Formats: sequence, structure tokens, C-alpha cells
Amino acid sequence: MAADLAEIKSMIESALPGAEVDVLDQTGTLDHLEAKVVAPQFEGVSRIDQHRMVKAAVRERFDDGAIHALTLRTSSP
Amino acid sequence: MADMAEPELKERVQQLIAENKVLLFMKGTPDAPRCGFSMRVVGVLDSMDVEYGAIDVLPGLQPLREVTGEISDWHTFPQLYAKGELLGGCDIVEEMYESGELAEALGVEQPAAPAGGPEMPADATEAGLPAQSPPLQIDNAHQQ
Repeated sequence: MAADLAEIKSMIESALPGAEVDVLDQTGTLDHLEAKVVAPQFEGVSRIDQHRMVKAAVRERFDDGAIHALTLRTSSP
Repeated sequence: MADMAEPELKERVQQLIAENKVLLFMKGTPDAPRCGFSMRVVGVLDSMDVEYGAIDVLPGLQPLREVTGEISDWHTFPQLYAKGELLGGCDIVEEMYESGELAEALGVEQPAAPAGGPEMPADATEAGLPAQSPPLQIDNAHQQ
């Protein structure tokens, strides 16, 4: 089972309204993804908590096996 | 299977995190990583003068995910702990390595490594690198 990049992007955007989100397929297999997330909600939040916030937004897709890995680049605008 | 982490396994994991100054939960072992992200964290650690414990999560992936989710709110591997705290996964460890924060968190000197990142674990047998602690075992026989 592979992930739907548009769905992953919209899951992150709904969890972090106003965020700029780019989701890429790293391997061509749609299960090792990379997301670049610039979100106002990250202001003053530690990097590990920024990652927690994004991972929580897409947790369902980790749990059902659609995503095996999600490389994250997070920052605040 | 219930969603709740198994209490016995959780207790064991908490104990390991407390007992090991630096502890890596990974897929595979430091000598034979079975995931590129785990391999990259091993590469970073092996380039630093640090001893660490390593746990192969593959024999009990799902129960361990639930346990680390409860302990650290983190459900993916690798996970690197130092002094009882989760530092992060591969991305954060690499960023911390590059900025020098990792050396600080691990209480070691930043290696005077050439630019281009840490060496791969294939070089770990060279003299001068720290002895790798053997992989720790978690008994998952009670699961299911």
C-alpha cells in the first residue's frame, strides 16, 4: 500500500492551518516520503516537538503501513 | 491486539533508557542495519567518541512502537536517547550533528571530521574508534 501525496499534504495542512507544505516521494515507491513544512505554529516550539506535531497529523498513515518513513524539514516562517 | 502498550515491555524499555547514557533504538544492529535511516544514525554515532547501547526493534516492532509512543510520544525508528531523553529520529540527529548540538547532548567533543558528514559504519573497525557495545536484547516472547 502506498501513500497519496496529496492526502498526506492535506492531513498536515488541516493539522497546521496556514502552513506551507511540500510533500515529495523520495524513492519512487510512495512509502518513503519527505515533507517540508513551514508553519506559524512552530514559532517557539522545539524541533522535536515540531516533528511530533507533523507526525501526529499523519500517524494514521504510519499505522496502516502506507508510509514507512517521513523525512522532515520543519521551520517557522 | 489492544492499543495499550504492554506494561512489562514498557517497564523494561524505561529501565534501558535510564540505564544507558546513550541508547539507540534501530532497525537491525549497528553491524548490520536494516534501514537506511538507522544506518545513518549509526554512522553519526560511530564518528563520535561515544559508547552507546543499541536495540534492534524489528523482533517487536509494533509493541515497541506503542511503548515509545507512550513514553516519548514518538512512534517511528530510529530513536536516539541521551541521558534519559529522546533527542529525535534520523533528521534531528543529523541536524544536531552538523550544528554541534549532538556532541553537547552526548557530552563528547565534536569530531574534527571533514565536511561531507560522518563515515559509514564500515570504517568502525579502524583503530581509535570506540568499542561498540553489543546490541541489547528485549524479550518479546510474551507478546501476542
